[in-house]
Amino acid sequence: KYLDFCTSLGQSYPGKPKIIRCRSLEKETFSCWWKPGSDGRLPTNYTLFYSKDSEENFYECPDYRTSGPNSCYFDKNHTNPWTTYNITVTATNEIGSNSSDPQYVDVISIVQPDAPVNLSLETKTSAGIMYLWAKWSPPPLADVSSNSHVYHYELQLKPEKKEEWETISVGVQTQCKVTMLQAGVKYVVQVRCMLDRGEWSEWSSERRIQIPNGESSPEKPTIIKCRSPEKETFTCWWKPGSDGGHPTNYTLLYSKEGEQQVYECPDYRTAGPNSCYFDKKHTSFWTIYNITVRATNKMGSNVSDPHYVDVTYIVQPDPPVNVILELKKPINTKPYLVLSWSPPPLADVRSGWLTLEYELRLKPEEGEEWETVFVGQQTQYKMFSLNPGKKYIVQIHCKPDHHGSWSEWSSEKYIQIPTDFRVKDMVVWIIVGVLSSLICLIMSWTMVLKGYRMIAFILPPVPGPKIKGIDTHLLETGKSEELLSALGCHGFPPTSDCEELLIEYLEVEDSEDQQLMPSHDNGHPSKNAKMITKGKDSDSGRGSCDSPSVLSEKCRESHALPSTLQTQDVRDVQENKEGKRSWETECIASEQKILLFNNESTKETTWPATQLPDNHPPMFAYHSIVDAHKITLTTTNVNIASFLVGNEEHQSQYPITETVHDDMEKQREMENLHSKTDQTTVQVIKTRPNDKSPFLNPKLMDYVEVHKVRQDKETAVLLKHKENSGKREKYTVPGPSKEYTKVSTVVDHNILVLMPDSRIHHTSVIQEPAVEMSQNLQQGQAEKNMSYCLTVPSECKRETSGSEYMDPSSFMPFK
Amino acid sequence: MLPIAVLVYPLPVSLTRAALTPLPPPAGAAAALALLWLLICAPGDAGCRLLTVADLFDRVIRHSGRIHSLATALYEKHFPPRDNELGKSARKCHTSGMLTPNGKEYAQKIPREELTHLILKLLQAWKEPLSHFNQHIEHYQELPDDSLSKAKQISNMVHELKTGVEKVTEKMQSMGIISNSLNGMASSEATGLSISNEANMMSDSDFIHCFRRDSNKVQSYLKILKCRIMPENSC
Repeated sequence: KYLDFCTSLGQSYPGKPKIIRCRSLEKETFSCWWKPGSDGRLPTNYTLFYSKDSEENFYECPDYRTSGPNSCYFDKNHTNPWTTYNITVTATNEIGSNSSDPQYVDVISIVQPDAPVNLSLETKTSAGIMYLWAKWSPPPLADVSSNSHVYHYELQLKPEKKEEWETISVGVQTQCKVTMLQAGVKYVVQVRCMLDRGEWSEWSSERRIQIPNGESSPEKPTIIKCRSPEKETFTCWWKPGSDGGHPTNYTLLYSKEGEQQVYECPDYRTAGPNSCYFDKKHTSFWTIYNITVRATNKMGSNVSDPHYVDVTYIVQPDPPVNVILELKKPINTKPYLVLSWSPPPLADVRSGWLTLEYELRLKPEEGEEWETVFVGQQTQYKMFSLNPGKKYIVQIHCKPDHHGSWSEWSSEKYIQIPTDFRVKDMVVWIIVGVLSSLICLIMSWTMVLKGYRMIAFILPPVPGPKIKGIDTHLLETGKSEELLSALGCHGFPPTSDCEELLIEYLEVEDSEDQQLMPSHDNGHPSKNAKMITKGKDSDSGRGSCDSPSVLSEKCRESHALPSTLQTQDVRDVQENKEGKRSWETECIASEQKILLFNNESTKETTWPATQLPDNHPPMFAYHSIVDAHKITLTTTNVNIASFLVGNEEHQSQYPITETVHDDMEKQREMENLHSKTDQTTVQVIKTRPNDKSPFLNPKLMDYVEVHKVRQDKETAVLLKHKENSGKREKYTVPGPSKEYTKVSTVVDHNILVLMPDSRIHHTSVIQEPAVEMSQNLQQGQAEKNMSYCLTVPSECKRETSGSEYMDPSSFMPFK
Repeated sequence: MLPIAVLVYPLPVSLTRAALTPLPPPAGAAAALALLWLLICAPGDAGCRLLTVADLFDRVIRHSGRIHSLATALYEKHFPPRDNELGKSARKCHTSGMLTPNGKEYAQKIPREELTHLILKLLQAWKEPLSHFNQHIEHYQELPDDSLSKAKQISNMVHELKTGVEKVTEKMQSMGIISNSLNGMASSEATGLSISNEANMMSDSDFIHCFRRDSNKVQSYLKILKCRIMPENSC
């Protein structure tokens, strides 16, 4: 049905194509052409497949284009002279396909070159015998390398009016001499060639020649050119035609513009054969010469076409001479090339009659392109910026100004541009390189040796924040004023005073860390254990108080251990009632505080910080903890309680009081802790005018109220507990610059007597973050306790504060 | 010889540029102005250098060369020389009647005064025909603008050149280089008129051809004259 449909439209599968011929021009490639069958009225594709006798595979035609439509070209890579090719062409359209009959191809047997080309004929006369001289060229091949092929040629000729060709076998030459010709007859000549045992090529195109009958006149000559080399004389040349087999004379005749008279060439010799030289006398300018050449033999004459010449415009000078290339080497600059030349000797430029302009060209010897420079009328030129180390070729030519033509180029002149200055450059660069590498070496060497100093110099150690004891609690409460005042120094940057203090503090800190801890642990077993430990510089203990938990543990230990000693100690203490009392209460307070820490982690974290603002007074300069304690106690005792007999006693009592406060602790716990969560702190700073150390409160005592200002020996402020002040108060009585940082006495339960700090003006901050303490105090324990209580935690506090302080030495790795 | 060339250079350059420009009308004006300056500027003027005869000669030679180039360009573009026409015997330039040296040796032999006069005469002979030719091609020929401008420029430049040559002549006479024997030549001015009529009869191509030839003559004579008078200067 489909077929019917197609048939009804006249459409069908394509007809059978036919391979017409296969041919190799030179044994190295070949082509096959086919004739398409009917296309079935549909677009049809033709595909050529071939196989080789040595293989089973089928290949498609490698090149459908080179040999034209319906052809396939097998190039060198696809042509094997020892193989028989089985070739089929398949035509394909929408409906179907059809294949040609296979064609078997042996390359050698299908070789057929193209016809020879450039056949030219000439008649010559030799010893009175006329003969024909035929020349031709072998067939051109696309591949130039194939020119080595040797062709055999065959020539055929016949008189124009005859039908029969006469064939002459020529051999491998590309020329042929034919004699025995009929004079006065026109002959037709063709030539063909053959490669080895292949087929003959087609005959070349026909050439015809009239064989002179021996009595013809010469052909007409052709005037080639006229030229004036110096704008004073000129010469004309002509080319003779066939001489007609007879000796021929040539005559040049000329007439000048506006004149009827015809002259003959004045000089046939000077300019050589077939030329005429017009000397000065015969050379006129601004006139037109009408020149003809007549060739004459005994059979007749023939005249060339006329040649019109205005001598003004046929001036073509000789090339310039004396071209000199000179390399100038100025001292300070790069060498340059000076070219100089002379005008051609014939040209009389001095008369002004002929003015020459010059153009030069040059290129590196191996270069391809010339650089051309128009120089004008000067006969010298300087060339800069030539590539050193290259050999240049220079040529110059010239032409008359405004008219005429360029001369030939002068002979090539060579100049070698030296390279020495480049070598100099190289030397300079080498020196520079060596020097710089030396410098680099030295630099790196010093860097290695003094690297750390260099590093320290380039990257100085980052100073730690010198904020001693920043009160995080203050931060939390957000009172910037307090915070600022909490900072030990009155301003930034810290004064030298403060720095001094800091350093001193640091030194002490280390010793205290170490000493205090053992003092708690080891001091207790002996009843009268003193906290006399030798001050040493050690940093090992610092971390122990960094974390509040450790601290509290320590403190706990201190509570626990001395319990056995309690009774004895209590007795001792009781001997000195007042003193004991104060110690007891103090310890209770501290204990209470510590407990609070244990219970409430949040509070713990805050307390060390709260101490900081006040912990930098100068007393920390002490190296010996004993001294420190002495001082502490002294200050405490002397100021707080006048009853205390001596420092020694007091110190000995110290552990005891701690143990005592153990007992108290229980009461405390019962009474207060379970019901309170907040801690109460009173921070009192005691400073003595003599730089002796006050101790800082680990816990801030709260709320004070100026109760009275005493004017005994020293000015003092009596502070009274305030129950619900909840704020810090600063007292600057009596003078605005005085601050009460020293507790003079504790009077009653609620009154602190403060002494002004005469040496350092720093704010004493009294803070009462919580109200609880008041209750504690109210519970019967005097505030004296609290004041004492400062001692124990103060160490811890200091430790912590020490941890906050950035020791500059810690940044120096190898100190 | 070299210093002179340097001194002279700037102005001719401006002249050449002006002439080169296809046709900005100012170009011709500029050239005229430059030549005017050349003429006005006398030795002793503060504003200008001392112009020697050699300088003046160089200028007029360049000027004439420029004219010849323009004529050649015009001739080759619009009236391409065909061999047949070139040999046409009918061609006759209206100046061909003037006896002019047709070679170097003649030009060198002829008295300087006479050569000078010849130059002036040639220029004079072309003044009127050129302006006529300009009008003619403007009205009857459809030539591109740049060709018209060239023709116009040629006409102007010939005028300028004549003025310039007259200036040189004056100077040479004042310096005693040539005698004041030009007086007798005045009569030829009248004949100039008659031959200019002849010129008007020529075909355009012949006209250009003849003018080109005569401009070359003028240039060659000027060069010869200069080198005869001052053989040491660039000769």
